[in-house]
Amino acid sequence: MVAPHGFGYLGQALSSAELLAALFTGPFRPNTDKFVCSPGHYIIAVFAAAPDLGLLTDADLSSYGEDGSRFEAVGTERSPVVDLTCGSLGQGLSGAIGFALSAQLRGNRDSRVFSLVSDGELEEGQTWEAAMFAAHRGLGNLTVLLDANDSQVDGPVSWVTTVEPIAAKWESFGWAAFDIDGHDPHALTAALSMALDDSRPSIVIARTSTGHGLSCLPDGADGHFIKISPELVEAAVAELETRLA
Amino acid sequence: MLNAPPYPTVLKPYGRALVDLAREREEIVCLSGDLTRQTEVDLFQEEIPARFINAGMAEANMMSMAGALARCGHIPFVHTFGVFATRRPFDQIVNSVAYPNLPVRIVGFMPGVSSPGGPSHQAIEDVAIMRALPNMTVIDVADAVEIRQAVRAIVDLPGPVYLRLKRGEIPVIFGDDHEFSLHHAQVLQEGHDVALMASGMMLASSLAAAAVLETAGVSASVVNIPVIKPIDASTIVRVALGARAVVTAENHTIVGGLGSAVAEVLAEAGLGRRLRRVGLQDTFAEGAQSAAWLFRKYHLTTQDIVDSAWVALDRTDAAPTAPVLVTPLGEYSPV
Repeated sequence: MVAPHGFGYLGQALSSAELLAALFTGPFRPNTDKFVCSPGHYIIAVFAAAPDLGLLTDADLSSYGEDGSRFEAVGTERSPVVDLTCGSLGQGLSGAIGFALSAQLRGNRDSRVFSLVSDGELEEGQTWEAAMFAAHRGLGNLTVLLDANDSQVDGPVSWVTTVEPIAAKWESFGWAAFDIDGHDPHALTAALSMALDDSRPSIVIARTSTGHGLSCLPDGADGHFIKISPELVEAAVAELETRLA
Repeated sequence: MLNAPPYPTVLKPYGRALVDLAREREEIVCLSGDLTRQTEVDLFQEEIPARFINAGMAEANMMSMAGALARCGHIPFVHTFGVFATRRPFDQIVNSVAYPNLPVRIVGFMPGVSSPGGPSHQAIEDVAIMRALPNMTVIDVADAVEIRQAVRAIVDLPGPVYLRLKRGEIPVIFGDDHEFSLHHAQVLQEGHDVALMASGMMLASSLAAAAVLETAGVSASVVNIPVIKPIDASTIVRVALGARAVVTAENHTIVGGLGSAVAEVLAEAGLGRRLRRVGLQDTFAEGAQSAAWLFRKYHLTTQDIVDSAWVALDRTDAAPTAPVLVTPLGEYSPV
């Protein structure tokens, strides 16, 4: 999806791949639960996972990022698979809370809401308005999957501003927090399970890297929006095929 | 039928109308941003607590939540002052409500300079910025009768609505036979010299201005335009065609609100009618203990409408003087 254009949101896909895989092959029930992709730039990772869930075909994805396609590079209202996404960052968690609140208002104890959130979004004030509200209302049916890839447009999140200590912040807001290696499938599965068992709103803080899984990427490759040469595409495909062989 | 000033007033017509409607409509949920009594929804909180959500002083979260609630089939009515309903969560309204075209009803109280609370509390450009958003319906009603009808009229609109409401004592201008319409502006009186076109709190002063003009031999039509978007262009064009000049009156900046909307209609219809816009002349409003003082300082009075009509009609003699109305406590007169 990135290779035909020579640019795109590759870093987000690499950092969140295991996180989304753990959710979609684990607790997520498409017709019962809700899934919010708060940072619309991550929609590429959701689309990439969707064919394995039977929700899209590979042919669908061939139009990703093309003029006129409903598969726009930054998620829109027409984006399939997700219940909600937004390109203006920091709004998805509030939307997820709206879904969770609706279930609470209707006495629906079965439906769960999962929201992918990026660590850069922790800089937005709305995220903390939302965090406070969710704990106050006791929305235990809500789980945030935080992709803590330490990457935003201007560089590492930790260089732009200090969002740490992430887990302690959420815990102090009344959330259950699970701080784990976001590229370890077993840790992700265990954390999701504990998150669902907790009566509080919960957050799985997945520590990740925007270059994970592609050692051919040069040091300092742009984690937000990468420009990638045909040679590098070829090297990346070769690396992945070798690993999967 | 119209009452005559000073108008009788009522308290909390909106809050009562919303509770009455919500008893019939289970989908309605009520959100408040820490201004529950001030936005009349203390009635809702007391009578239907299970569907009342205090979102606290966190308007961005409140708007995005309301959007998601609407996606789930609820009809959220979101309440705060107009300034906090439109300025702070503008991006959330754009992305979580307007672009997805969701049936969220944003109810902003304390329009324009009706608050002496300083520029931070005066919604002077809310109509302009809400009008600029695709899918948004924008309403600025004049009295308690319209308020009650508007609540019912908007509940089933498929898209979002911004409803602008006066706070506190609400005048009763219209009789019970009044019919609020989402589609048609109302011509309250016909005249052939000047057309006065008003919304919200400026309707009462426009009616008063028409009476003053009549005493000076100037015949004025008065058009009530509570729905500023989508605007009823055909009525505006028809009435303007029958007059030599047009004066708009709004408790709002003249940039982007009713006056601008009417100007667009007149220009696109090719009507060469002289236009004067009464409203805040591209300024913030400072320095008051009372709203009436601000209306005078910033030229939002009956006299200002009369004077604007006079200028628009190219009159060089002295304009007639609007009488100062004595208003008993608990009644309402335009300034």
